[in-house]
Amino acid sequence: MLEKQNLRKADIYSGAIICLFGLWVILQALKMPMKDSWGGVQNVWYVSPAIFPLLVGCIIMLLGGLLCRTGLKTIGFKAFAETVRWLSSRALLQFLNSIPNLRFYAIVVLLLSFVFLNIPRIDFFLSAVLFLSVFITSFYFDVAEVLKKLFFFYLAGIIVLIIYFSIGLNEPLSRVVPFPADILALCFIVAYCVYAWRLIRNDVTLRKKYRTAMIVAIAAPFIVGMIFKYFLLVPMPAEGLVVAFMDYFWYLEFLE
Amino acid sequence: MVILERIGFYFQTVLHLASDPIHIAILFGSVILGIMFGAMPGLTSTLGVALLTAMTYGMDTATAMICLLSIYVGGTYGGSYASILINIPGTAASAATALDGYPLARKGEGGRAIGLTTTASAIGTIISMLFLVSISPMISFFALQFTSFEFFLLAFFGILISGTLTSPDLVIKGWIAGFLGLFLACVGRDMLQFYPRFTFGIPELDSGVEVVPVLIGAFGIPQIIQVLKEKFQIGETQKFQKIIPEFGTIVRNIPRIIRSALIGVGIGAVPGIGEDIAAWVSYGAAKNTSKHPERFGKGEITAVLSTEVANNACVGGAMIPLLNLGIPGSPPAAMLLGALMLHGVTPGPMINFEHPNFIIEVAAILLLASMAMWIVGMLLAKQVVKVLRIPTQIFMPIIGVLCIIGSYALGMNIFNLYLMLPVGIISYFLIEMGYPIAPLVIGVILGPMADENLRRALMVSQGSFLPVFTRPVALLLFLVIVWTVLSQFPLFKNLKDRLLAKIRPRKFRKTDTVQDD
Repeated sequence: MLEKQNLRKADIYSGAIICLFGLWVILQALKMPMKDSWGGVQNVWYVSPAIFPLLVGCIIMLLGGLLCRTGLKTIGFKAFAETVRWLSSRALLQFLNSIPNLRFYAIVVLLLSFVFLNIPRIDFFLSAVLFLSVFITSFYFDVAEVLKKLFFFYLAGIIVLIIYFSIGLNEPLSRVVPFPADILALCFIVAYCVYAWRLIRNDVTLRKKYRTAMIVAIAAPFIVGMIFKYFLLVPMPAEGLVVAFMDYFWYLEFLE
Repeated sequence: MVILERIGFYFQTVLHLASDPIHIAILFGSVILGIMFGAMPGLTSTLGVALLTAMTYGMDTATAMICLLSIYVGGTYGGSYASILINIPGTAASAATALDGYPLARKGEGGRAIGLTTTASAIGTIISMLFLVSISPMISFFALQFTSFEFFLLAFFGILISGTLTSPDLVIKGWIAGFLGLFLACVGRDMLQFYPRFTFGIPELDSGVEVVPVLIGAFGIPQIIQVLKEKFQIGETQKFQKIIPEFGTIVRNIPRIIRSALIGVGIGAVPGIGEDIAAWVSYGAAKNTSKHPERFGKGEITAVLSTEVANNACVGGAMIPLLNLGIPGSPPAAMLLGALMLHGVTPGPMINFEHPNFIIEVAAILLLASMAMWIVGMLLAKQVVKVLRIPTQIFMPIIGVLCIIGSYALGMNIFNLYLMLPVGIISYFLIEMGYPIAPLVIGVILGPMADENLRRALMVSQGSFLPVFTRPVALLLFLVIVWTVLSQFPLFKNLKDRLLAKIRPRKFRKTDTVQDD
């Protein structure tokens, strides 16, 4: 949580955003049927689907306004003007470039790419191994410079994957090679591991951490994934190369 | 006769559950897992319950409840390990335990402190279980008299009180979080007319926002971001010798135990606030009534006892409103509510009719979980504390994978992930800006209840709000809500002080003046 003084400054902005959000809720609710007919049912105001969102929107708007006012009252307009100046100064850039923020971006990019890009398109086991190997090595090494390099390497790989999927290369390639996206992901994992190894190979402590990270990154998805897939019978979000390989052994397909 | 029958059935249920080896294996496994979740700083029992909910999808309700309640009980107790041994509370619930637990460990009495917290936690859970069994029929009876207005006001009160009590900064932020939760509950087709609200033409939103992914996102993702962003490091673990159950200390402190258990049950029963507040209130009460308050903070054994009894007594306390009114008493209870709905059990006043033995079953599971926790605590504590050596940078990413696969597994819907992650990131920013997350989650859970009951009530009264003032319970709830809101404003506080000063007898005022002089 932020410090008290900074909290009050943040309250002005968050209060204003919440107030506007409340207004948006009200405006959306006003579009809902209040007294007119919906699905053959003639409405009265008190059973309208708008009544509860209207109540919630009004309260959110009121509370947001109150919070904004409290923030302004506590720090004063002068301090608020200073904050506005800070937001348009170079100090903001320095703040955004700080190491804790870099760590934050790395975590958010990792999570977003895992959920929105990899999970729906790449075999679950491969996407989880990629996610864990990047996540664990980046943070477990605990060296800001290494984190920066690994993060940008991962970002570059993610951009390649985005281009690959957005131009629709997967469809024609899958007619020629089975599981092309999974093969691409596998190449990405290998490239990442080699790059990470090259970065830390001269440091004995980091080499030890690298080994541990890789073991966990490979073992954990298999343990978790197998529990869900074969014991809880939950089909994986995307089943590809690895799942096909595991199914082959699990269901004794080689005996057929 | 009915009471004897219920007691008989209770013990029959305990025996029935304990005689199944699978149940026993799940019980001990979940307790150990819960203790690990509680012990690891950064993980909480809420997250443990959230992640395990996905695993219980294929189980029958009784087995699922064994699993989830055991992890809840174990998680609440497990936090004390990190508090005592590394001075970092494993969970917020055990923050008060660290004040005196760690000094005890530094004196070389870590084994004694862990032994005492183990026994105290088991006693706290058992006492709360007794309250759950005895109070539930009365609350259910009263709740059956409730009409839609009362349920609407109760949901409203639950959100307001949890916002008031859990806010780390301004109370207003707690309320905002609660109402943001209520907004999320509005998303989807409304239950009376099936009108799509805030769905933006996305068919996946038609059925509304799924509770469990929201809960996993709100509790899990901010935890991962916070721990890894702030480079959270676990300190060196204090060594400890043999773990002693400390029965002698327990017997000598029976009044303190009862007081702490009452605090725990009472606070647990208030919607939305949980074990952490119970532990602090109990710590304060123990210090205020102690003959040696100066010893607190320096390794006072009664302080450890009071906090641990209270935070575990919260477990049963939180079950009382959850099972009888459908209002979760604490964040893990909110998670349990989601799990119960998943298993087709709708908590509320009708629970005794729809599932007549369910509350007895829950009580039996709580008893077994507390016993399993005591056994594990006494025999395996030395092994379990080894999890404190695992670096956070290794287990947090794994928790991330579990959050994601757990959210997906419930309903096997990838859209749950698209919902869980944004909710998690927004929750992180809200937490950073001093907004509590528990009211948001409670808002999501109580939203449908508030919405439906408000409109149903207005339908019955033909749009009139008069029944709020003519029905005694509704009026009482309304007045409590008004009081809760007004009491937070300085203007009202000043007015109250002035009124009290006028009401106070002149004699006392004279004495005050003399003393002031």
